[in-house]
Amino acid sequence: MKVITNGRETGKKETGCALCGGTWGSYYEDVEDQSMFFCCDLCAKAFINTVNEVKKRTGWDHLDQLELKGNYYTGRTCVARREGKEYKFYVKFNDEADIETFREL
Amino acid sequence: MSICPVCRFRSNNWGDVASHIHDMTSRSDPPHVMWLNRNLSSREVSSQELAGTLEDYFSLKGGLSSWIRGKVIEKIYGERPHPFILAMQKPNRAVLLGYVIEHRHFLRNWIRVLSMIVYKTDKDDVARYELENISQEFLGNGSPPHYELLIRMGESLGLTRDEIMSYDPLPSTSSSIKVWRNIAETRSWVETMASMHSMELIADKSLRNYGSKMHYFNPSILTDQDYPDAVKKFLAEGYNADEYHAWKALELVEKYSQELGVVEDVQVSFLRSLDALSKYLMARLERAMEFDPNLIKFVEAVT
Repeated sequence: MKVITNGRETGKKETGCALCGGTWGSYYEDVEDQSMFFCCDLCAKAFINTVNEVKKRTGWDHLDQLELKGNYYTGRTCVARREGKEYKFYVKFNDEADIETFREL
Repeated sequence: MSICPVCRFRSNNWGDVASHIHDMTSRSDPPHVMWLNRNLSSREVSSQELAGTLEDYFSLKGGLSSWIRGKVIEKIYGERPHPFILAMQKPNRAVLLGYVIEHRHFLRNWIRVLSMIVYKTDKDDVARYELENISQEFLGNGSPPHYELLIRMGESLGLTRDEIMSYDPLPSTSSSIKVWRNIAETRSWVETMASMHSMELIADKSLRNYGSKMHYFNPSILTDQDYPDAVKKFLAEGYNADEYHAWKALELVEKYSQELGVVEDVQVSFLRSLDALSKYLMARLERAMEFDPNLIKFVEAVT
């Protein structure tokens, strides 16, 4: 899965955390059989929760691409892509990285 | 004294604090990583570079109150102003209702936390200042209190008083209130005072003189026929407040934080409060989306 965070491809230590884009930290998590870099476990949890929620709502078995725009304060407007199809949504997390708000756009 | 803004690890130099933070981030400790991402930079730098950045970030070149004002402007009115502030430049009914519903909870907490300052302080000038503030917010001084003006604004927009009172706070509002209550319960009264009254600065119109690109709301609303009088009365209350009022609390904070030797602690608690404020302001917009789902497009456009 290709991840674009605030206009930049992310998911590796050099490019930044797949959720927030930060390059601090050294946390890795397998997401859809792909080792992905996160700055901390909370960002990883929030990201995985998001991917799972999209799969649940779309019925897709995996995502080709996830584009995220925003931050912790504003929440994130996102576009998930799979085989030419798009799914747009807004997501915001609580302090435990659980999904607090999820709105389809 | 140099201090870690997350866990208050202390040292005589910023090099030690930077090494400590670097060590915590190498272990991906969420609070330390998140603080850096939200306040300094999302780009990892060496301990040496971090020491210099931290020293610069916390240095009080123009005094504590000026430093606080600078951070408020940077966070709320900076390169990307907070979405709620942008929405307040021409707020629709939904934005104002989001404001009313969430702010009612904020104001109830406001007076409770200010009461904690009165309880903890042994300074008469501080107690008097806070008691006057509590009275003005909740009882009014011959005129309707701020809390009542807020409810009337909601009524003028079509909700009944009972409806306004029936809403529980959104999770983001509750989370922020928890932060402020935690500061009040666990930290000194000076830190609590800085944490609470620094938030009043966001509505201080003199911020424009110090680099803020816009006011808390577009002042033309106050004479705009499209807005009900109760909306104008609530907004005008803050806008027309004596500028001295916003600064009086911070003058007291500056004076007593030096006297009690807690300047660095005040800086750290203030930053926690500012973080909670940013989150809380977004809760107002989230509530507004329940009345106008199209506001999500606005949020999308400005983030």
